[in-house]
Amino acid sequence: MESKRIAIECLNMMKESGVDKAQCLLKNTEKRELSVNLDKIDLLRSTFDASLQLTAIVGDRKGVVSINKMEMEDVKKGVEQVVEMAQSSEQDSANDISPRQPGKVFQSGPESPDLDLMYDRLDEFMGYAAEAFPKTTFRTVVLNHALTKTHLLNSNGVDFEEHLGEYSFMVLFSSKEGKRTSSFNYSGYTAHNLDKPIKDVGSIDTLLRQSVDQISAQALKQKFVGDVLVTPDCLESFLSTIEGTLRDYALISGGSLFKDKLNQPIADQKLTLHSRPTSKDMSGGYFVTNDGFEAQDNTIIDHGVLKTFLLSLYGANKTGMERAVNNGDAYVVEPGCTRFDDMIKSIDKGVMLCRFSGGSPSDNGDFSGVAKNSYYIENGKIQYPINEVMVSIFLISQKSASTSVFLSCRGCSSEV
Amino acid sequence: MIKRELSNYVDILSAYTELRLQENRDTLIVMLNGQVMRNQRKAMSGVSARVYKNGVWGFASNRNMSDDDIKLAIHEAKKNAVFLDRHTNQDNEPLQITTNSGRNDFSTAKPRKTQRELIEFLKEIDGYIEKKYPKLNSRSVILTCLDMEKSLVTSDPSFAYSVTPRSILIVVMTVEKNGEPFELMKTFGGLGHFEDQFSDPSQLYEKIDNIYNHLMKKSEGVYADAGLKDVILDADLAGILAHEAIGHTTEADLALSGSVAGDYMNQKVASPLVTLVDFAHTALGEPCRTPVYIDDEGVLAKDVAIIENGVLKSYMHNKQSARHFGVEPTGNARAYSYSDEPLIRMRNTAILPGTDRLEDMIASIDDGYYLIKSSNGQADSTSEFMFGVTLGYEIKNGKLGRGIRDTTISGIAFDVLKSIDMISNDMVWEAGGMCGKKQPIPVSMGGPAIKCKINIGGK
Repeated sequence: MESKRIAIECLNMMKESGVDKAQCLLKNTEKRELSVNLDKIDLLRSTFDASLQLTAIVGDRKGVVSINKMEMEDVKKGVEQVVEMAQSSEQDSANDISPRQPGKVFQSGPESPDLDLMYDRLDEFMGYAAEAFPKTTFRTVVLNHALTKTHLLNSNGVDFEEHLGEYSFMVLFSSKEGKRTSSFNYSGYTAHNLDKPIKDVGSIDTLLRQSVDQISAQALKQKFVGDVLVTPDCLESFLSTIEGTLRDYALISGGSLFKDKLNQPIADQKLTLHSRPTSKDMSGGYFVTNDGFEAQDNTIIDHGVLKTFLLSLYGANKTGMERAVNNGDAYVVEPGCTRFDDMIKSIDKGVMLCRFSGGSPSDNGDFSGVAKNSYYIENGKIQYPINEVMVSIFLISQKSASTSVFLSCRGCSSEV
Repeated sequence: MIKRELSNYVDILSAYTELRLQENRDTLIVMLNGQVMRNQRKAMSGVSARVYKNGVWGFASNRNMSDDDIKLAIHEAKKNAVFLDRHTNQDNEPLQITTNSGRNDFSTAKPRKTQRELIEFLKEIDGYIEKKYPKLNSRSVILTCLDMEKSLVTSDPSFAYSVTPRSILIVVMTVEKNGEPFELMKTFGGLGHFEDQFSDPSQLYEKIDNIYNHLMKKSEGVYADAGLKDVILDADLAGILAHEAIGHTTEADLALSGSVAGDYMNQKVASPLVTLVDFAHTALGEPCRTPVYIDDEGVLAKDVAIIENGVLKSYMHNKQSARHFGVEPTGNARAYSYSDEPLIRMRNTAILPGTDRLEDMIASIDDGYYLIKSSNGQADSTSEFMFGVTLGYEIKNGKLGRGIRDTTISGIAFDVLKSIDMISNDMVWEAGGMCGKKQPIPVSMGGPAIKCKINIGGK
């Protein structure tokens, strides 16, 4: 049966079963993936999957059922189950679905892959890496193309269709000489095309070069308080830490460090963070939120000031605060005006943090972890790669702003 | 339920082929401060085929499982193998033939509980916590269940059918002290359906009281003094050390791709007190929490003694890595969902118990820490690791002291293993975790308490 008709049938069946509010989210995903094993391309996968997620609200009680079978008999069973799930649950007036919005169809990226080009790009990358970085071995190298077609319909009349096609690349590697091994490092990207050789995208080539240097990493001899220069590859670790504190669970439970900080500074004014899921300049975005709204781009931290939480409709209803206009992700940190090299020159003693293997931050925002694939900086120069170095970080210091990682931000590099 | 009998397809499997039908069924209920935040079920099933041709693999999967869909998956997998074979010039050495057969169904024989009954169970636990501990700022009770049902046939041929359910209940408590929140979490449960794991909420109350008492001590706790310290890692942390920091480096694919363990075979890598095993399905006479009898390549799963009395003795293998090293495959090839290919994965990984008593181990430390619970863990190809620690105590002059705040421990795992000088005589398993390596997979890990030297974070 055609996807949209299945979704409409599901909504009708839920309504006929006495459901007050219903949502149907139907996704079909086709993926083709090439993988490397022991430096050779040795696996081609093609997968065809679907997911039909049914949400039912009966008397403020909510249930959710997901299945991947679309025959009418399976759908009927799914509807029966979700109605029973909702009836079994507890009343919560925060349960809701999105209101009626104009119906729209969104499309982004290529719908079908060029499999021969995928092979050629991956083969070219492996050939380049073997020649340029013979000491480097690859644990995971995956290039895939996925097309996801989504229909989101609800009983308020919402009707969105989204087609997202994109290529994704992921690589995980380490380097070895004799018995010395560098820490593994990784990189990856999503793209709408494979126009560029893989080695020329993002910082992959730089990370491979650094991996070879890092075979001779040294431990630091002493504990010190110094500057930390976080590279763009590592920044994501810290963004995900902030993100967790802005979402439903942290805010509903009251455990979020930032629960009372809306429209207040939580970082230095040099830091501005956007979420741009609908940007044409970026792949990896989306147009429809999980709770049935058309997604919009927004600014989460504007010159250090927290401008929005990442609350869903449920989270917003529960906390009495505003719903976020997207699900987060597709993050962009606004560049600054200092060149990266000049930032290094400005540091007397510190660490260039290229990867952070950290513990989950505790509720009070303290966390520590190991500086991976990182470098010691002294007198404005990178001295040597380091290992076994633990970094302690205080997301918001209870004692002083100067020890808080975000409040003590001294600048962002100008390069993008 | 999926088809149990796939022998009819053996005749159409020309090259080496695995054909697998699988359904994963998930239940998730999240109760936060007495209210149901999430109440959901998921069932995802389908068929996959993986074909080996001249050193390359073709894989295809389809969510539909009719006879035609199964044949189509085999055809597509062959086509994918042919595509790669056309482009590459790889070896054509065959994989080892393994012919095994087995059925292992851990489904409950009891009547299944309804969703309402599951929610009532959680409500009762939540009600107990709310009434007894009104000063808590928040409390969560979470139930997460996963059934994996698999039916496999290979061209060798091997046949396997299994149902492996896992039911985990998680309790999280948060308290605020001087404006700062402190949290502690504990997981209960393991192999089996909910009905076999949990009969009466009151059976958990003593353990819940225990979490609260630890949380109070943690909220009054101090920052650990950063540096290299004598510590006792309790079973939870010893288990994650065995799995994350040692286990991963000894998965044969990682050893081949440059992990430090690739150079250590038959060398001393740990104190002679240490024997570390990845158990297949039965450990020390008890059934394991993540039992694997026949893996997803049709190989009979065997225990892998990774380290024996301090010496590295074996890697974990699939058919391809076993052929590379000239050894027998060990039954570690596992796939998470029907649309995933089997990868080398751990099953039930643990350091074996020693002869020491925990009290004597604590008494032997003048200035150190007793570390009990971990939050997360990451490890490296170098065996350098980092684990979050959410519960621990100071040890001063051989006695437990103040609680400590959340911290992190790190080190080079093989160096830490060499520093072990005492191992407790008990054994605790933990089976709430999922291991991530391209795909998630349920694993269990465990161990005794170990005394060693480790870097601890703090101030």
